Amino acid sequence: MGSDSIASCDSSINLASALGYQMHSGQRDEAVSADGNVQSEWHDIFEAIQQRGPGTVTEWRHSAERLSRERGLAYRPASLNEEPEKGWTLDPIPWVISADQWATLEQGITQRTRLFEALLKDIYGAQKTVKDRLFPAEILLRHRGFVRALHNLPPGDGVIGLGISAFDVARDSGGHPFVVNDRFDAPFGLGLALENRTVVNQVLPELFGRCGVRRIGQFITDWFDHLGKSSPAATGAPQVVILDPSEPGEDSEVGFLANYCGISRVHPTDLTVRDGRVWIRALNGLVPVDVIWKVVPGRNMDSLESENSGARGTAGLFEAMRSGGVAVASHPGAEVVQSPGFYPYLKKICQALLGEELLLPPVATWWCGRPQALSHVTTNLHSMVIKSLAQSPEVRTRYGSRMSSDELAALKAEIVADPGIFVGQEELVISTIPTSRAGQLIPRGAVLRMFSFSDSEQKVQVMPGGLARTSTSDGAVISTRDYGESKDVWVRSSEEAAPFSIASALSRTRLITPDIVPSRTGENLFWTGRYAERLDTISRFAARIADGRMQGFTRDADFGRRHEKLLIKALFKIFGFKLPAVKDEDGATIDRLHLILEDRDCPVSVSYNLDRFFNATQMAREEWSSASTLAISSCYEAWHTQADADGDDLSTRYGSKLNHLQLNLAAFLGLNLDTMTRDEGWALLDAGRRVERASIVCALLRFLLKAKLDNDLSTLFNESILYSVDSVRTFQSRFRDVPSTELTVRLLIAEKDYPRSVWYLIQRIGNVLHKLPLPGEHRHPRDLIAPWLTEMENFHRTVEEGGFDRKQTDKFLGRLRKFLKKLSDTITVAYFSHAKESV
Amino acid sequence: MTSISKIRYRVRHLTAYCYNGRIDLCHNLAHLGPREEPSQEILAHHIEIEPQPHFLAKRQDFFGNHTDYFSVQGSHEELKVISTFTVEKSDAVPVLPDSGEAWDRVFDASKVMASCDDSGILLGNYLLPTQACPLLDSLDDFLQRSLRPGREIMDLCNELMARIFSEFEYKSGSTDISTPLQTILDRKKGVCQDFAHVMLAALRRLHIPARYVSGYLETIPLPGTEKLQGADASHAWLEAYTPATGWVGFDPTNNKIPGHQHIKIAHGRDYFDVRPLRGIFVGSGRQQLTVEVDVVRV
Repeated sequence: MGSDSIASCDSSINLASALGYQMHSGQRDEAVSADGNVQSEWHDIFEAIQQRGPGTVTEWRHSAERLSRERGLAYRPASLNEEPEKGWTLDPIPWVISADQWATLEQGITQRTRLFEALLKDIYGAQKTVKDRLFPAEILLRHRGFVRALHNLPPGDGVIGLGISAFDVARDSGGHPFVVNDRFDAPFGLGLALENRTVVNQVLPELFGRCGVRRIGQFITDWFDHLGKSSPAATGAPQVVILDPSEPGEDSEVGFLANYCGISRVHPTDLTVRDGRVWIRALNGLVPVDVIWKVVPGRNMDSLESENSGARGTAGLFEAMRSGGVAVASHPGAEVVQSPGFYPYLKKICQALLGEELLLPPVATWWCGRPQALSHVTTNLHSMVIKSLAQSPEVRTRYGSRMSSDELAALKAEIVADPGIFVGQEELVISTIPTSRAGQLIPRGAVLRMFSFSDSEQKVQVMPGGLARTSTSDGAVISTRDYGESKDVWVRSSEEAAPFSIASALSRTRLITPDIVPSRTGENLFWTGRYAERLDTISRFAARIADGRMQGFTRDADFGRRHEKLLIKALFKIFGFKLPAVKDEDGATIDRLHLILEDRDCPVSVSYNLDRFFNATQMAREEWSSASTLAISSCYEAWHTQADADGDDLSTRYGSKLNHLQLNLAAFLGLNLDTMTRDEGWALLDAGRRVERASIVCALLRFLLKAKLDNDLSTLFNESILYSVDSVRTFQSRFRDVPSTELTVRLLIAEKDYPRSVWYLIQRIGNVLHKLPLPGEHRHPRDLIAPWLTEMENFHRTVEEGGFDRKQTDKFLGRLRKFLKKLSDTITVAYFSHAKESV
Repeated sequence: MTSISKIRYRVRHLTAYCYNGRIDLCHNLAHLGPREEPSQEILAHHIEIEPQPHFLAKRQDFFGNHTDYFSVQGSHEELKVISTFTVEKSDAVPVLPDSGEAWDRVFDASKVMASCDDSGILLGNYLLPTQACPLLDSLDDFLQRSLRPGREIMDLCNELMARIFSEFEYKSGSTDISTPLQTILDRKKGVCQDFAHVMLAALRRLHIPARYVSGYLETIPLPGTEKLQGADASHAWLEAYTPATGWVGFDPTNNKIPGHQHIKIAHGRDYFDVRPLRGIFVGSGRQQLTVEVDVVRV
């Protein structure tokens, strides 16, 4: 490719065809006009690809993938994830929007935000819109998101309205924009939009600069500023939290926002209501909360007042709102106004509430509760999108065009049986944008999610950007089911963009972000430490076995096999699991190395413990530095990407993978030592590690003491144990002798200053536990340590004086292990007892 | 002309939860205070909670019922709530009013739903299905026999009440609050809540607004026997609405138009809107519930 094509007279036409961009006939494209001209706002992108030559798109994609992964975006344990997340993969080619186009959209969304704020206020207040019959009462009264408990608590006067609102906008074949969805109840995507922007900005820095892209950071900090200003507390800096219900393996894009702004993220079980206020159950006691930004469904937020009796929320929350103890964004009753049931009446509602013409129309919609509309919908069912108003809209949306005639008949019967809970929507052909696929630019249908909120002065702010989602398939129509990938949205500006710094923007807002460690985060830190040590031990055992197989066994195969069997037996024993049978149900031989490497259901496997380790780290996401986050995703990545040398032989395949895992794990633990503040959270992480390590060593040595082994096997097994705790070198320099059970016990139990010895570990646990606050009425775990320091000293003296005795030692280790278990239980009771709420 | 005299009742309703284990915190929502209604005047109302609640808020719920929210913080093993009130009622014998409307009237359903009763609540609330009161097709089998063309609505209600009374068997303990309406219709057995739900669903199916009522019924001991303490119980009935009559009560459990012996606490769409005491506690342990109700004339 060269400069000739650029030099020719109409570069725009040549650009599109030179890149082989072929539009779908009959479908409007955002970037290229029907006659092949690249629109001016897209020109820079096309030109850059053309100038850089073939491979550009692939290159961009790869760097976006790498960056996303490093930021912890791409890897989620699949085994714990029932729904694979959709639309998370980032396509680095942005959706470019001109300043003019944007102005129209911004105006429309500004009006729409005001409109739905007014509607929300009316619904939880005077209900004039219903009584004046601007829309059928059923649409309100049958919606699950109409929270009767919040009547007389309309937005305004210290009560927040819609909060962050999301609008899905698309363009039809005539280029007219329309709204497909409104989302007010914990809308998805703001965190992902921010994350996409960060990544794309790094992939395409020059292009980003050249295009004069408007910044989105200000919108997000303004939002947090607004939250701070909404605090009901008159004095002091407000405590703002993000209430995020996500469990491990679930979408938790809000984590990105929490990290970005340094706001505490709490889980519903972290909160409690007392004295008409909301509090975080933190390690250091109860911390009051002034403002909650929720990403949980509002209707289930208060388990006491929810109409759904199974709701897991925060009991008493609504009462705290009523008594002015807390501000909640968005209004927990906001879900109702996102009902597509309002769409047929929106023009009228807009006129009545705002006295204005509706600027951005919604997709054409018919409410089946009206006989005429019902007959229109049922007659044209094959070209309709059917949404249920009573159920979750995502789950229940059906597309007539994709149904068989039998299915259509069944759907029709369902609608006719209770028409009031259905709407039919026109299935529209929407415009396409260039997306990258297999190194090429190809057109795909796209929907733009825009975000807005109404600030303390009732002024609407619209984020100059958003989240674009493109269709996976060639089809002209896009549904949420089809969302394949996401994109950054570039709004071009004629003005010079002012530099923006998150840190200085945040320092202007009055939010405080003290180091609160919610009890649940504390628990996950503790388990991060425990799983890290477990993972280390299991991977070292596996590596030892793989090593033995690879090198051929030192003496004879039989001896090697006996040693391998011993290692596997020990591994299951120390974690308290039964050794599985050698044959499966069909009589086929199971390779136990395979089991401990990659069986995700086997609790003594690398994969199983890696999943748990990963989950625990994700639940404590805010605690990690960016380097630690990278180490975590590298652990996961190194394990789950196919090894290069994929021979049939397990040991060759896994040798380097195990090395990488251990290395990344060590990096993670080392980074934490360097980067974490020595607070309660760190203390729990460290205590978790040491408790686990000490228990493993005790159990391992008890197994060793009980095993009846001949000399050669005993020596080799001792060496393996030393290898598994990375102590071979230390042993050699300390004793200059052949490994023996007595010496192994001396090194791993009774060395005061050796970090791998249990004595040292107990001292260390004692030191870190001092960081933990007094746990109220419960016993402080540090009080358990002192007697055991004496015991360790006595044991040390006994073995040093030559009084080593297998039986006595075994008994001692048994008691030691019980103590460690008790220590762990005491920590759990003292700091993690988020007792379940019962009805 | 007979003069109407007033009857005064004193009601005491005790609810006690005994936990096997200590509770650190509980949140409660009570519908135990009586409504001020044209048919009843509240002279005194008092709610006593043990242990002393740390937070107590009185308000009106969506339906205008009296609600007490309270939380008890700190370790406790028992929770006792005693609601006591005095109410004055007229002893006039209620008569069935005439709505001037037939059940098979021509009407605009959406207009009815969007109109309000005299308390300003949208009637749609009392017409649409709820979890406990789905508007089942099978209700038509029950309704069919009473649906003579042109039949006046109150007359129809009266017959439906009488038919539930005679066709359904009252059997205490035969159902609980989670028994589905279809099961009640199939087994034709239940308690007062179930009978109220059956009739509510039947009326709503005919687009007649109907609401669930919770309250108490004065019981009169057999001649010569003394009334036992705590022998009374919570009761449930319903009210149906027409524009001409306003809300009119029906008690299908006793086949009676509620009069002075029916003391009303609250109303809503179904039982779940007006549960006497709903609580959530933090802590472990199972709970044992004791309820005692006394309704005495004073």
